[in-house]
Amino acid sequence: MSVLELPSTREEGWRWSDPEGIAAAAAMPAGAPVDPAALFLDLPGARIVVRDGVVDRDASDLHRVTLAPVPASDHPLGRQAAGPGWMLHLAEDAVAHPVQVVHLASGGANHLPAEIVLAEDAAAQVVETYAGAGWSNRFLRVRLGRAARLMRAVRLVQDGGFVSLREEAHLGTGASLVTTFLGAGAAGSRIDATLVAGEGAFAEFGGALLTAGEQRQECAVAVRHAEPNGQSHQLWRAVAADRSTASLAARVEVARHAQKTDGEQSLRGLLLQRTATVNLKPELEIFADDVKCAHGATVGELDQRALFYMQSRGIPRGRAQAILTRAFVADALDRIGNETVREAFAADADAWLERVL
Amino acid sequence: MATKNAEAHAAVSKKYEWGFATDIEQDFAPKGLSEDTVRYISAKKGEPEWMLDWRLKAFRLWQTLEAPDWAKLNVPPIDYQDAYYYAEPKAKATIASLDELDPEIRRTYEKLGIPIEEQKLLANVAPDAEAGATPPRRVAVDAVFDSVSVATTFREELKRAGVIFLSISEAVREYPELVRKWLGKVVPQRDNYFATLNSAVFSDGTFVYVPEGVRCPMELSTYFRINAENTGQFERTLIVADKGAYVSYLEGCTAPMRDENQLHAAVVELVALDDAEIKYSTVQNWYPGDENGVGGIYNFVTKRALCQGRNSKVSWTQVETGSAITWKYPSCVLAGDESVGEFYSVAVTNNRQQADTGTKMIHLGKNTRSTIVSKGISAGRSDNTYRGLVRVAPTAEGVRNFTQCDSLLLGDQCGAHTVPYIEVRNPSAQIEHEATTSKISEDQLFYAMSRGLDQEAAVRLIVNGFAREVLQQLPMEFAVEAQKLLGISLEGSVG
Repeated sequence: MSVLELPSTREEGWRWSDPEGIAAAAAMPAGAPVDPAALFLDLPGARIVVRDGVVDRDASDLHRVTLAPVPASDHPLGRQAAGPGWMLHLAEDAVAHPVQVVHLASGGANHLPAEIVLAEDAAAQVVETYAGAGWSNRFLRVRLGRAARLMRAVRLVQDGGFVSLREEAHLGTGASLVTTFLGAGAAGSRIDATLVAGEGAFAEFGGALLTAGEQRQECAVAVRHAEPNGQSHQLWRAVAADRSTASLAARVEVARHAQKTDGEQSLRGLLLQRTATVNLKPELEIFADDVKCAHGATVGELDQRALFYMQSRGIPRGRAQAILTRAFVADALDRIGNETVREAFAADADAWLERVL
Repeated sequence: MATKNAEAHAAVSKKYEWGFATDIEQDFAPKGLSEDTVRYISAKKGEPEWMLDWRLKAFRLWQTLEAPDWAKLNVPPIDYQDAYYYAEPKAKATIASLDELDPEIRRTYEKLGIPIEEQKLLANVAPDAEAGATPPRRVAVDAVFDSVSVATTFREELKRAGVIFLSISEAVREYPELVRKWLGKVVPQRDNYFATLNSAVFSDGTFVYVPEGVRCPMELSTYFRINAENTGQFERTLIVADKGAYVSYLEGCTAPMRDENQLHAAVVELVALDDAEIKYSTVQNWYPGDENGVGGIYNFVTKRALCQGRNSKVSWTQVETGSAITWKYPSCVLAGDESVGEFYSVAVTNNRQQADTGTKMIHLGKNTRSTIVSKGISAGRSDNTYRGLVRVAPTAEGVRNFTQCDSLLLGDQCGAHTVPYIEVRNPSAQIEHEATTSKISEDQLFYAMSRGLDQEAAVRLIVNGFAREVLQQLPMEFAVEAQKLLGISLEGSVG
């Protein structure tokens, strides 16, 4: 059983991980198939349907996306998703329509790798949606050439089970990668990523994890500045209700000669019930002396004074809570550049709030 | 001979002023670590049966443990069999008055500038201040030389106040009930590898008990000195502040310069009952090794405070400038409602020093509060890590925490790391964490130098300003020493 190959929670980087959750998800019985139609957004470009880790060619419109084996990773999660996967390779100066990928799981474990390679000055957008139930494990390799730009938005709206994402990105000189995650389903998750930023590269990696019930979601992200003048922002928001746990572990590493790096981390957690847990670990590892690295981390409940103020203006307490929580989450989702995508993600977050509050 | 090396070192570098070794006759336990060593130490100290059993239990447990390796440290494997676990000055350890103290040891302490004699008060206070007048600031000292406490001063006066201030071996004999009640309660034997080792072989240390409602009339201080070659120092400090008591405790350490690495694995346990307050200050200046990282002390220390009572308060202040490798996390378990934990730290690393230090604030009681201010300064090829944990239990309503960790990098060959863990299980908690990393700005340096300071003095001034929030927390005489130490530790790190 592949779950047994995962590191134990005694290991530093896996301290807040949930191997039992993955094992349970992998053992979920086959469920009813999900209709992908409602999960695609109204955008031009490729539409890829992935059913239980296999690209459904008949239901997909591949455009520039190709299907081929992806080089393996040696990460404990990544190496399990080896073999054929989808690829987006763009030549110099190419600009692609958004690529939408909908992953449908119907119980059990499924794995799929993917690769995005953008040559100099190419630009792409990728939107991914995870739905259904079971253990969906993905590996994504990203290679960005000089001044290439990639914007990704990933939403986890599975009804149950577990989604584990392993991402390894390499940003060339002046390249830019903006990735926003939204965990608003009922599945557990682990977003595990390593970004290596080249000279003057810009990386934005963040999102919102909303957890309820017994759910456990976590991110474990490291941004490594290997060359000077890089910039990175990691902005994460976690909202935990009921007996759930949300964990945010984000690290900035600055190599010896990566001077003038500007690394910023903002990790904030909001606890809705006293039985919920938020774990934060904003980590800095700095070897260069002329850098600007700052991190802020806060955990707490909604501001009672703000709640009181809104109630005094005639807004019912429940509604006021929803507005304030929505504002808290919005910080992270506002980073999404594409309006259609941003609105769809915001709607998912609203639906979650509606359900939980 | 290492002494020769030490002399050679001293000749080429004047940086570590306390690097001399004292030539005195000493009794060693047989080299190596076995049950016999543990029995030897216990017998040497004339300990009761229960104490020996306690040590043996820890030793057996230690043999089953593996050395931890999770810290961001590069620790070469330690050969536990190649060290002496007990070294005692031949001069009789229990002496009637300070005059009987071995003059060599006394000279050592004089060189170190410890106010070991009762008359030696702060310079601005008349030595024979009238009793009854405003009591001058005085410091009671317990000096530990290698494994044995050689002198405890001001004993009589403390006794009148009801304060027990003894070496721990004396306390085991004289107050067995108290020691037995609290020993290992805060740091249990199985807490971690080095704490377990300490429980088995601890040689000496300090025991303080401040009874109900007593405000300890003076600062208490322990001075640790590793002198003998190849010895480890394993001291154990236990401080209990009963209801409404207050005590301020200072700890200082030095060691001679040697080529080998020496191990210092201490355990410090603090207990604060209702409304009690303990202020624990450390200036750690163990020999850090030379510029190439040869020699130096491994400082693997477990320090923990239990704020058991309501409204109790524990404040840790530490200035860490020494040791080849420092690995310690003075912690507070805030069990009593409304209890307060504080941690102020300056850690300076230069050359090839490595420091992995920080704190843990475990909030269990309602309305508990904690403040963490950590300043890391790295120079040379050193690594400086802040690693901390703030945990809020589900039962802990209304918790407040503020954490600030700042790192200052001097030079481009050093590293600064921040690893804060925050685990919150109660929504009413307000946890704030801030961190920055920076270097000394050219503007600041230019300004200070344009006012006539040379570069080193300018850096020293800026560094002292950077560490000011922590230095302010130190008792006066320590603050002066600490400022000087910061300067010395950074010598040669710029330009």
